[in-house]
Amino acid sequence: MLRVENLHVAVRDRLILKGVSLEVGDGEVHVIFGPNGSGKSTLAMAIIGHPDYRIVSGRIFFDGQDITEKPIDERARMGISIAFQNPPKLHGVKLKDLLARIASENGVGERFLEIVDRLNISQEHLNRYVNVGFSGGEIKRCELAQALASNPKLIILDEPDSGVDVENLELIGRFLSESLRGRSALIITHHGYILRHLKPVKAHVLIDGVIACEGDPDQILNRIMKDGYRWCERCRLMRGV
Amino acid sequence: MQVDERRLREALSKPAEYGEDLDLGEFEQESRERVEVDEDVRRRSLEVGVDLRRASSLTTFLQIDHEIAYRAVQKQFQGDIELMPIQEALERYPWVRELFWNLVSPYADKYTAYNALRPPSGFFLRILEGRRLHMPIQACFFSYSPGIIQSVHNLIVAEPGSEAYIITGCTMRRGDQKGLHIGVTEIFVKPGAKLNYTMIHRWGPNFHVRPRTGIILEESAATSYNYVLLGHVGSFQSKPFTRLEGRGATISMSNIIYLDGSSKMDMGGDCSIAGKNGRAELTTSAVALDRAKLTMRGRILCEADDGRGHISCRGLMLSDEAEIYTIPELISRRMNASLTHEAAIGRISEDQLIYLMSRGLSREEAESLIVRGFLDVSPLNLPSFLEESIKKIIDLAIKGF
Repeated sequence: MLRVENLHVAVRDRLILKGVSLEVGDGEVHVIFGPNGSGKSTLAMAIIGHPDYRIVSGRIFFDGQDITEKPIDERARMGISIAFQNPPKLHGVKLKDLLARIASENGVGERFLEIVDRLNISQEHLNRYVNVGFSGGEIKRCELAQALASNPKLIILDEPDSGVDVENLELIGRFLSESLRGRSALIITHHGYILRHLKPVKAHVLIDGVIACEGDPDQILNRIMKDGYRWCERCRLMRGV
Repeated sequence: MQVDERRLREALSKPAEYGEDLDLGEFEQESRERVEVDEDVRRRSLEVGVDLRRASSLTTFLQIDHEIAYRAVQKQFQGDIELMPIQEALERYPWVRELFWNLVSPYADKYTAYNALRPPSGFFLRILEGRRLHMPIQACFFSYSPGIIQSVHNLIVAEPGSEAYIITGCTMRRGDQKGLHIGVTEIFVKPGAKLNYTMIHRWGPNFHVRPRTGIILEESAATSYNYVLLGHVGSFQSKPFTRLEGRGATISMSNIIYLDGSSKMDMGGDCSIAGKNGRAELTTSAVALDRAKLTMRGRILCEADDGRGHISCRGLMLSDEAEIYTIPELISRRMNASLTHEAAIGRISEDQLIYLMSRGLSREEAESLIVRGFLDVSPLNLPSFLEESIKKIIDLAIKGF
């Protein structure tokens, strides 16, 4: 579904990703670990086609097509969606109206209301302006609703578990374990809480703009929990990456 | 109020304090065409929120140039309100003659003087004590004959404890038509009454508009005075004035402005808090395109204990040749008063655009959604069905964007 080849990405003049390659198969869920500033969000932004993230070299393939040069909105219409970590506020745009629009343009129609229900988004919340005065948990749930309302083939979740209380985490976890079935997903997480609810097939550890380590998500998470990211640092040095 | 004709004639040469000065001699005084309520009139009225096809089922007042083309009070509200031509009310009620020209000075400038010298036309609306009207009263002022000065004087009395929504649409027959609209409106809101007065205007590049409004609020009276202008206007100048006379009175004056072409608009809002615990809020959301120039004057004076006032102006610039100029004034004469203002003028945020584009919207669709969101109708304090219909009107007006 997604293939990233030797990707180098710069933000302004600073090179952040320095040769990242990975492949996510149809219906596979992958997880990206990494310390703060390692380039996790940059990878997400480069895949969705955010114009501030310049691809210096390398290629991105999605659903068999080279999308490296495609603009962000076209990629979204092809079936890539994202739940942002820090989305902007949209004054005057009601959550309900935005969801209905995303859903109708992707043939989801009224079914977005089921998503809203499962994410426990209230009528009152739906009538508020997107991200204006939302709590941390409300922002995450609103992002997931938008990301799923387009019925995407690939969904990228940028820190779905950060800044969320236990109750919301439980809800988001349950929601994702049902909603990701049959879809490809790339989940970016710093501390891995969300993995209590999801079983990704593969983990990639991103350190300083390169994939330092890959493998079984549980094993890698356990090592990170035990030894921190310094372990991956050593691992990378040992592998001579 | 008695007017002094000699003073009025003198005032005919007095320019307004703000805005472009117009030569009244360049306009026609009388209608040259036979007025007809045809499909054009119905269509353009609908663009300003007045549905003439439902005229018989809604309370409606339609004035074309100076002719009252239609008026009807919805059956269920008969006995709750009085709606009649102002001329008729002046003849029938001595107390209406007393209120006439009480809140707006006929000598203020050439426009008020011109208005006062003409035979009065416009409506008188009285919402009787304690009556609550859940359906809107709609009034439409239509400029029909090319080059005409349409001179209107409306007087509204909301009696104690009454509640009503009034939608006033003003427009004209052809988009390029020359003309001048002078609209005098005097609104008396009695103790405990609640009034929502929403105007929706659509004009054209050769049309000039000079509304003159005075509002007085008695104890615990609350009024939302809303102005929505969409598109192009040759020149516009207005500075509606509200006096919060009684204790605990509340005024919210909101403007939603989408200004394009070479429009010149000088819009104001002026509130004087004279009663304890008075609340005044002036809100403007304005989008300026092309070479449009907008000046926003907000003024709140507090002379009563525990008064609160807030001026807020948000401007969105969609052209480097446009201009938005905001002038907020706060005057406090009480230690315990609290007056604030905020203003922000900017362009569409790139973050917001990219966010919406990541959901599959094209750049143009995202821009249009942000602009529509910017022209937020929630400060108008309308019930949801009216809010929706005004949203639709705004959507329609900016569709070409």
